[in-house]
Amino acid sequence: MSAGHDSSSMKLTLHVWRQKGPDDEGRFEIHRLNDVSQDMSFLEMLDVLNEQLTNEGREPVVFDHDCREGICGMCSLVINGQVHGPVPEITTCQLHMRKFNDGDTIYIEPFRAKAFPIIRDLATDRTAFDRIIQSGGFVSVNTGNAPDANALLVSKQNADEAMDAAACIGCGGCVAACPNAAAMLFTSAKVSQLALLPQGAPERDARVLAMVGQMDAEGFGNCTNESECQAACPKGISVTNIARLNREYLRASLVGKSQ
Amino acid sequence: MLSWLQRTLRSSIGKKVLMACTGLGLIGFLIGHLAGNLTLFADSEGEAFTHYATTLNSNPALPVVEVGLTLLFLAHIVLAFKVTRENREARGKGYTLRNDHGARTPGSRSMMITGVLILAFIVVHLIDFRFDKPELEEMSLLAGMVESRLSGTVGFLIYFGAMVPLTLHLSHAFQSALQTLGLNHPKYNCLIKVVGRGLALIIGLGFASFPLAYFFGGNA
Repeated sequence: MSAGHDSSSMKLTLHVWRQKGPDDEGRFEIHRLNDVSQDMSFLEMLDVLNEQLTNEGREPVVFDHDCREGICGMCSLVINGQVHGPVPEITTCQLHMRKFNDGDTIYIEPFRAKAFPIIRDLATDRTAFDRIIQSGGFVSVNTGNAPDANALLVSKQNADEAMDAAACIGCGGCVAACPNAAAMLFTSAKVSQLALLPQGAPERDARVLAMVGQMDAEGFGNCTNESECQAACPKGISVTNIARLNREYLRASLVGKSQ
Repeated sequence: MLSWLQRTLRSSIGKKVLMACTGLGLIGFLIGHLAGNLTLFADSEGEAFTHYATTLNSNPALPVVEVGLTLLFLAHIVLAFKVTRENREARGKGYTLRNDHGARTPGSRSMMITGVLILAFIVVHLIDFRFDKPELEEMSLLAGMVESRLSGTVGFLIYFGAMVPLTLHLSHAFQSALQTLGLNHPKYNCLIKVVGRGLALIIGLGFASFPLAYFFGGNA
């Protein structure tokens, strides 16, 4: 798209999912925006929509957002059928309206998974992820003085892989993109970041058993290795982590000491 | 109280591991089955095939192997339906508009459909050659039965057509099974992909060669 003198302003037709609560049927509502700047982020465009709705005396659209700089994992949305929109490896708050064209019709839906019930409109309850973390995504540390830096040696390779896994912001995009609504990419990243480091060793077996158990109890689907999660992940988390999770789980189940 | 084994096999990962192991076992069976069938091409009189069929059917362990094979199939099929049902439930209300992110393949997205088509083919195939197979002394009739079944238009369409879903199914199966078993490493990932797709092609084309040969080769 070239930046002509009038190209910064776009007209858009939005099909926005509206739902009063978890038990409401829900439906699409059509809204037209006549003056959308290409420099807006997608969420700012929704802010403009909400101002318009408020001025008209109508209910604004509820959507999740927080840091608006791609690190908190709070924003969500399925935009034209794609999680976090059409641009790879960014969150919805980092998506800019210059990626769309004047006159476009945009479908905006919430993340859809039984384990992520819709609170209202586009906002989903993703506390299932918190419960997976609570079940085992932690390490035990001694209180008291801070240990010496580098007292525990970690290979560069493992540090890098753990850091890559830790890049997961827990947005739930993997679940939304997965054809089976599985939470394997999230759980595998959280298990991996600790399994790769010596600090995670004491709870290694108990952790993976508890976190997979909680993941299943929350009602997520089963992985069929289609890698859509990896392709949709705003942080580029790799399905290599899922293979590691499978290994960790089998190891802990078959030969682990913890029950 | 659940034992550790029950808990493992009932978990999402456990079910997938069972799918992977039974699937790999079935791939092994397909390779053996194809190797045996290829004796049809060894000579025009079907002597090699008759010898193979007689040896196989006179082996007292065959019924045990058949029971094992049936269990492999049943476990794979029952788990597939269970896992698919759970996955649909996990989504709940689906998306109105859905565009993939580009990672799915024709094989990966159609595993359930191709699986059902393969199952339907297996039923026909068992009726054709398992429940209707000749007595041990008359095993020389089998090559002729194969030829007459596969050279007819309906037989050709069934036996050739079924290899399309089989190839698609296998194109995702091998690498998916290894990933489920945790076998993923930068050193081998490319090899696993190539071997998986290569196996799918070899098995698919290998089995397709019989209807092709009998239908187009005729009795010449």
